[in-house]
Amino acid sequence: MTNPSQRWITQLDGSDLPDKALIGGKAWSIARMMSLGLPVPPAFVVTTEACRAFLRDGAIPAGLPEEMATAIACLEQRTGRTFGHGTKPLLISVRSGAPVSMPGMMDTILNLGITQQTEAALVAECGDLRFVRDVHRRFHELYSHIVLKANIDSFPPEGDAASWDRQIADATGAGLPDTAYARLMAAVGAVFESWNSRRAKRYREHHGIAHHLGTAVTIQAMVFGNRDDNSGTGVVFSRNPLTGDRTPFGEYLARAQGEDVVSGKFTPNVLSTMQLRVPNAYQGLMAACVTLERENGDIQDIEFTVQNGELYLLQSRAAKRAPAAAVRIAVDMVREGMIDEVTALDRVTAEQVRLLLAPRLAEGQAAQAQILASGEGACPGVGAGVIVTSSDEAETRAKAGEAVVLARPTTSPEDVHGMLVAKAVITETGGSTSHAAVVSRALGLPCVVGCGVAKLDGMGGRMVTVDGALGRIFAGQLKVVRPDETADPQLTEIAQWAARHSPLKVYRPSEAPSGHVIDLNAIDGGEDPKRLPALIRGYDGARGGAIASEEGVRAAVAEKLHFVVGEPVLPLLLAAVRAKASLNDPGVASGEAAQ
Amino acid sequence: MNDNHMILHGLAIKKHAAPQEVADITGLDVETVARVLAEEEVRRRVVMAAGKFMLTGPAQVALRAEYSRVYADQRASIAMDEAYGQFERINAEVKLLITDWQTMNVGGKRVPNDHSSADYDRQLIDRLGALHERAEPVLNRMAKELPRLGVYPRKLIAALEKAEDGAVEWVSDAKIASYHTVWFEMHEDLLRILGRERIE
Repeated sequence: MTNPSQRWITQLDGSDLPDKALIGGKAWSIARMMSLGLPVPPAFVVTTEACRAFLRDGAIPAGLPEEMATAIACLEQRTGRTFGHGTKPLLISVRSGAPVSMPGMMDTILNLGITQQTEAALVAECGDLRFVRDVHRRFHELYSHIVLKANIDSFPPEGDAASWDRQIADATGAGLPDTAYARLMAAVGAVFESWNSRRAKRYREHHGIAHHLGTAVTIQAMVFGNRDDNSGTGVVFSRNPLTGDRTPFGEYLARAQGEDVVSGKFTPNVLSTMQLRVPNAYQGLMAACVTLERENGDIQDIEFTVQNGELYLLQSRAAKRAPAAAVRIAVDMVREGMIDEVTALDRVTAEQVRLLLAPRLAEGQAAQAQILASGEGACPGVGAGVIVTSSDEAETRAKAGEAVVLARPTTSPEDVHGMLVAKAVITETGGSTSHAAVVSRALGLPCVVGCGVAKLDGMGGRMVTVDGALGRIFAGQLKVVRPDETADPQLTEIAQWAARHSPLKVYRPSEAPSGHVIDLNAIDGGEDPKRLPALIRGYDGARGGAIASEEGVRAAVAEKLHFVVGEPVLPLLLAAVRAKASLNDPGVASGEAAQ
Repeated sequence: MNDNHMILHGLAIKKHAAPQEVADITGLDVETVARVLAEEEVRRRVVMAAGKFMLTGPAQVALRAEYSRVYADQRASIAMDEAYGQFERINAEVKLLITDWQTMNVGGKRVPNDHSSADYDRQLIDRLGALHERAEPVLNRMAKELPRLGVYPRKLIAALEKAEDGAVEWVSDAKIASYHTVWFEMHEDLLRILGRERIE
C-alpha cells in the first residue's frame, strides 16, 4: 500500500503493482513477485519523480530525507531489525532501476548499514568475525568504487574498517560519511547522477529514449545465507538449461553467501541436499519455479537465499541456455500450451541451430583413436590436418592447399596469420583467457590450450584430428559427420513452424526449382553481403555467394524474393522469420524489444 | 625517432597491413607511409602481397634491436612504469571479460556465447564500458609520456560506442578494429616500448 503522505517513495508490499515508469524495472519485478505471493525481502523504492527533481534542481529534493527515515522505519518494522544501530542491525542493498535497462547506470551497493558500531553487533549476533569483516570490506570496496569513484585496486582482507577508511581518504581526500543514513543519501544521489553518465546518455540518444524519464532507486533488506545450518544460498533453473529437461536444476550451498555460488561449479542434484536440510524452503522454491515460469512464459534462472529456514527469492529472469536446450524448451513449451509457435521461433536463433548441426566426430571415433595430447578445450569444433610448428610454415603450406593444424608453445599476435589459415590450433601453455583461446573463438577455430610444457615436441608433420570440445588431439584423420537436420524430430517440428511463418521458401540444392534464379557464385561480388540487394533485385530466387547467411537471407526478404537455395535449411528459415519481424518493427533487430 | 622506424614499428603491430592501416596507428600521413614502405620493399625489409605489407624476418630482428634506444626515456620513466602496472591489472580483467563475451556459463558449464541472450550481451557491454572508464585515465597518463599512444583511447572508444549502439561484433571480432583488436595492438605496442614479455 502506498502511503499517501510519501511523495518521493513507494513501499513495495505486493498490494498493488505500481507503474513501471515511476518505480523502474527492478522494483517492478520485485513488486510483481510479491503480488504473486512469492517470498521476497522487504523493499521500497525512491521513484523516478525524485530523480527528475534531483536532476532539475541539482540537489536531493526537499522532503526526501524525512520520507527516507519513515521508509527505513517501515523496513525496520518488517524485518525486526534496526538500521545503523542496535543489537540486530539491518543491512540494505541500493540499486538503480530505470524503466528501461541501459548501460552506464550505477552498480548495486551491498551491505549498506554496516559501520564500526554495527559490525560489533553483527559479530555478536552471528559469531563469525571473518564473515562480518568480509561484509564490511565488500561494502567499502563497492562504496568507494561506485559512489566515490576512487581508483583503489583492492582492500586487503586482513585489514579493518579503520585501515580501509584511511585508504579511501588517501585516494579521494575525503572519507566515508559517518552515519549509515548519510551513506544511504549519498548512494541515492550517485544513482541519480549515473542517469547522466556518458554511456547512459549515448544509449538513450541512440535508442530514442527520452532524457527526462529518470531512474528509480530500489532499497531492499539484505538476507544472509550463512546465519546457521538452516541457512544457505543457491541458484535454480526451472528446467535444465543444458539439455532442456523438465526437471528443475541447480545448486544449493548451506551456510554460504550469494557470491560463493554465482562463481560456478555446479553439481547436478545438489538441490537434493536442500530438500533434506530445509524441506519447507525447498517446497516453496519448487512452487516458485512453476509460478514464475508460467507467469513469464520462459525458463527461469532464480537466485535465492534461505535465512533461518525461510526462503527468499532475490531475482528471477529468463535463463541463458545451450542450443540443445533452446530447441527442446521451445518445442516442449508449445506442446504444453505455454507459448505459441511465433514465440517459439523467436526463442531459437539461426546461430544456435548452426551450432547444433556443426560437424563432429563420428560415433565411436574418439573411443578407438590414439590420444596424442589433451588440454583444455577452448573453442569447440573438429579440425584435422598436418601439424606445423610455425605460423609462417602454416601460411605457406595452407596456400599450397594442405590442411594444417598449428601447434605452438603459446601464440602471440605474430601467429594470427597462421591461425587464419589453420584448421585447428593447439598450445602447450595458457588457459581459457590466453591469446590462442581468445583469437580462436573470435575466428570460430577449434582450439585446445594448455596441453603441457613440451607435450607437443616432435609432433611436427603428423596428421592429427583436434576436438576443441573434448580438448583432445587424436592421431590420424578421424571420420567427421555432419548431423542431419531432417533426422531430428524437434528440429523437424520447428522447421515446419518456421516454413509456415517464413516470407520465402528455402530449398536444398538438390530440390531447387529452376526459373528466374540468380547464381551468385557466378557473379563478381556475389560473396559480399553488402552488394546482395542490388544483385538479387527482381529475381524469383537466389543461390550461392553470400545468400545462405543471415545477412543474405535478410536481403532476400527485403527484396521480396520467393526463395533461396542453401542448407542446412532451418537456420535460413529462422533468419527469414527474424528478418520479416525486424522489417515490420526495426526495434527487433537491435534487440531493443527484449526488455 | 625517424619516420622509417615508426612505420616499421606500426607494421610490426599490425602484422599484415595496407599503408592506410599503418598511417592510422602511427599518426603519419598515408603518402609518407606508402613512400617509405615502397623504399623498404626495395631494401627487402618488407614484402608486399595484394596491397598489404609484412616485415621480413631480418627487419623484425633489426627493429627489436632499436627499441631500447628509441624508447630509452619511456623505459626510464617512473610515471610510465606505474601506469603500466595499473594497465596490466586492467588488462587481466579485459581478458576475462572477453572470455565471458565469447563463452557463457550455462548451468555451471562453459558454452560458446551464441548471442541469443540480448540481456547477457548488454550486461557485458556495460561491464566493458565501466572497465574502459577505469582504463581511460591510465591510458591518458601513458599518452602523456608518449603522445602517439593517444590514438588508442580514441580507437577504443570508437569501437565501444559502436558496440553500445548494437553492433556487437565491435567487441571482439578479430577481422575489424574491434575493442579487443585495438586493445591487443595497444598491449603489443606497450610491450615493445617497454621491452617486456607477454604473460599468458
